[in-house]
Amino acid sequence: MSAPHCLLALAACVAAFAALGLAMDRHYADAYGRGSEPSPGQRRSLRLAGVGGLLLSLWACLAGAGNAHGWVLWFGIMTLSAQAVTLLLSYAPRRARHALQGLGLLAVASAAWAVLSA
Amino acid sequence: MKGGFRQSMAWLHTWSGLLVGWVLFMVFASGTSSYFREEISFWMKPELHRTPAQPAAQQAQAVEQAVRLLEREGAGSPRWTIGLPDERDPSLRVSWLPSKPPAGGGARPRPLTVNLDPATGERLADTRATRGGDFLYRLHFDLHYMPAMWARWIIGFCAMFMLVAIVSGVVTHRRIFSDFFTFRPRKGPRSWLDAHNATAVLALPFHLMITYTGLVTLMFMYMPWGAQAVYKGDEKAFTAEAFPNARANVPQKAAGRPTPLVPIAPLLEQSRAHWQGSAATRVVVTLPGDANAAVTIYRDDSANLSANYASMVFDGTTGRLIETRGENIPPASETRGVFVGLHMAHFAGPLLRGLFFLSGLAGCLMVATGLLMWAVKERPKYAKALARGGRIGFGLRLVDGLNIGAIAGVPLAMAAYFWANRLIPVGIAGRPDREIAAFFTVWGLAALAGIVWPSRRMWQVQLTVGGMLFALVPLLNPLTGGSGLFTAAASGHWNLVGFDTVCLLLGACLLTSAWWLARRQATARGAGTQAPRRAAASTAPAAAPLQSEPALVPARHALGAAESASP
Amino acid sequence: MTADTPRPLPAAQRLRLSDAARHRWAVVSRALAAIAGGYGLAALCSTALALWLPLARAEAVITGALTSFAVYAGAAMWAFAARTAGRAWAGIAWPSAVLGVAVWFTLRGTGGAA
Repeated sequence: MSAPHCLLALAACVAAFAALGLAMDRHYADAYGRGSEPSPGQRRSLRLAGVGGLLLSLWACLAGAGNAHGWVLWFGIMTLSAQAVTLLLSYAPRRARHALQGLGLLAVASAAWAVLSA
Repeated sequence: MKGGFRQSMAWLHTWSGLLVGWVLFMVFASGTSSYFREEISFWMKPELHRTPAQPAAQQAQAVEQAVRLLEREGAGSPRWTIGLPDERDPSLRVSWLPSKPPAGGGARPRPLTVNLDPATGERLADTRATRGGDFLYRLHFDLHYMPAMWARWIIGFCAMFMLVAIVSGVVTHRRIFSDFFTFRPRKGPRSWLDAHNATAVLALPFHLMITYTGLVTLMFMYMPWGAQAVYKGDEKAFTAEAFPNARANVPQKAAGRPTPLVPIAPLLEQSRAHWQGSAATRVVVTLPGDANAAVTIYRDDSANLSANYASMVFDGTTGRLIETRGENIPPASETRGVFVGLHMAHFAGPLLRGLFFLSGLAGCLMVATGLLMWAVKERPKYAKALARGGRIGFGLRLVDGLNIGAIAGVPLAMAAYFWANRLIPVGIAGRPDREIAAFFTVWGLAALAGIVWPSRRMWQVQLTVGGMLFALVPLLNPLTGGSGLFTAAASGHWNLVGFDTVCLLLGACLLTSAWWLARRQATARGAGTQAPRRAAASTAPAAAPLQSEPALVPARHALGAAESASP
Repeated sequence: MTADTPRPLPAAQRLRLSDAARHRWAVVSRALAAIAGGYGLAALCSTALALWLPLARAEAVITGALTSFAVYAGAAMWAFAARTAGRAWAGIAWPSAVLGVAVWFTLRGTGGAA
């Protein structure tokens, strides 16, 4: 699997789970301060970003590793990403928002790279 | 059962998991290591570490070298096997069955194997006798020191329990989505539950897949009834129709007429052309030198998800194609092939293999946290008894002991296996069995010690020793004839780099756990005077995992018990 | 699980003891239903599929075997989710009986069981 696809799959997946995590009251409160919760609009866009990121990650896996391997790889990357985000949200929740933004950018950059190097 | 579907599923989950948890931990640990069994085997043969990392020859050239050696040493053998070099193993593996059955009969004759340099045909340094990673792979489903059938029934039974545990666990997990990312450290039993949930839910696709596919791998042994009913005992027909990889229908008995073997390189070319460029992975010659000789060439299907593979069978004297096998596989058979393939992960490249390995480790942690959590939850029930100077119940004591034996003992035994590989002298008789005996001896002692003294100190000791043994592997390696980390990196042997690095990381994890246990104990000791009160409190909300355990010891001391088995 | 006929009131101690014992027997019974009964049902299902699926012989046999473990797991869960141990057995025994009879007739029809 080529480097840009790999990077995209991982970055998009971690960003997606970070977004989905922050969309939950418990983790949002950990990240933004006790008692705060996302507004309905924020929650919707976080969830959308999450699902979008997962689908982008799936596309990267399929494009990079073919139809059969791609699905297996996607599940493996989701497992790794979900565990990473769990650790992030429990040990450094305030960094989670920065991680989300940074990884989102990385995902976009590697998507561009993947498309350009195709 | 006891009121409510969810509750009955929770009860089922606890018991189906607990009763077979220790076996499952060993199965997960050995299975996870099996993802890298070729790399483990390579590490355990330091004589091969200096060989070039990349296959340096074409397959045609390699096979010619192999045949030359086989004609010299394997003449009269009923079966030659040539393993062609590929990415995971660049050597040329040549093996042949001895022409005469070994004296003493009974057991199937073991093939003699030699590794060759594929370019020059030179015999690579004879490697030490070792089962390598194959021991851990076989341990995973054949156990050891018992007939394979028994082992597979035991493992299958445990796997079925595991399947029920997984499904009932998912059903009973009320907040599976809202608790998806939840992990609250330092909160006692709650933390253990979070860890169990995290390692289980986040790798759920893997766990479900690996358990079901594991059962499927041996499904005709566990559920032969359909086949028996349909084929009415005609095993030959069943094998021929259901297993595309079954041995080709070639003559097994020699005709007695010596006939020269046809050159194999052209047959390789022919197969490559037929398979539109796909390379071959293995060549098997039956009855070489006889009129009934046959050459079977197996396609390299390691990139396919399915475990089914294609092959072509040629007549060994004329080179005529007899049949092609394993192409156009029908859907159910292909499904079974994919299930088996997913379990073995033979198709996985380095990244995917690493992910499988991590998921397997998550499985080990899932089982371990489940077992430990049961003990942690059970302990407060004995608080009153302890306050009165009694002991915890036999059941809990047994679980504590078995937990140590499995969770701390299995890693310890694996590390001991690798150390034994380097420390047992080369050339002595029965060397592979000695390495294996080292594994079981260490495991047995660890388990025994754990059952006799199920204390925090015992955890610390075993985790520390295991951690040290693993962490020192990168030092042990170059000191005992292997290529060290930097040498291996320089020569491109990334499998060696990986092995040493993973051992170092595993050692670090084990040592960190031991250190963390010691820190918890120090905190508990600091509040030693409060221990009897804590022992009486059944649900101390701020109690850290195993916090109640050091409370046992000061409580005993406080009550003047004359026991010496304590930290 | 305690949805049985109301009992007369014996001494308090005896009531508690036999309740615990009955509970244990119920668990054993369910476990048997799950482990043995479940296996039987799964085996019958795999045989039924192998005999009746309109596919090539080997395909039908493989399909039956592939799905058998899901049946086994389902039966085991049923054995513990059913309201009483009796219902647990009934839920496994009845389908097994029906399938068993049908399979037996099929095998008789095609020239005798193996």
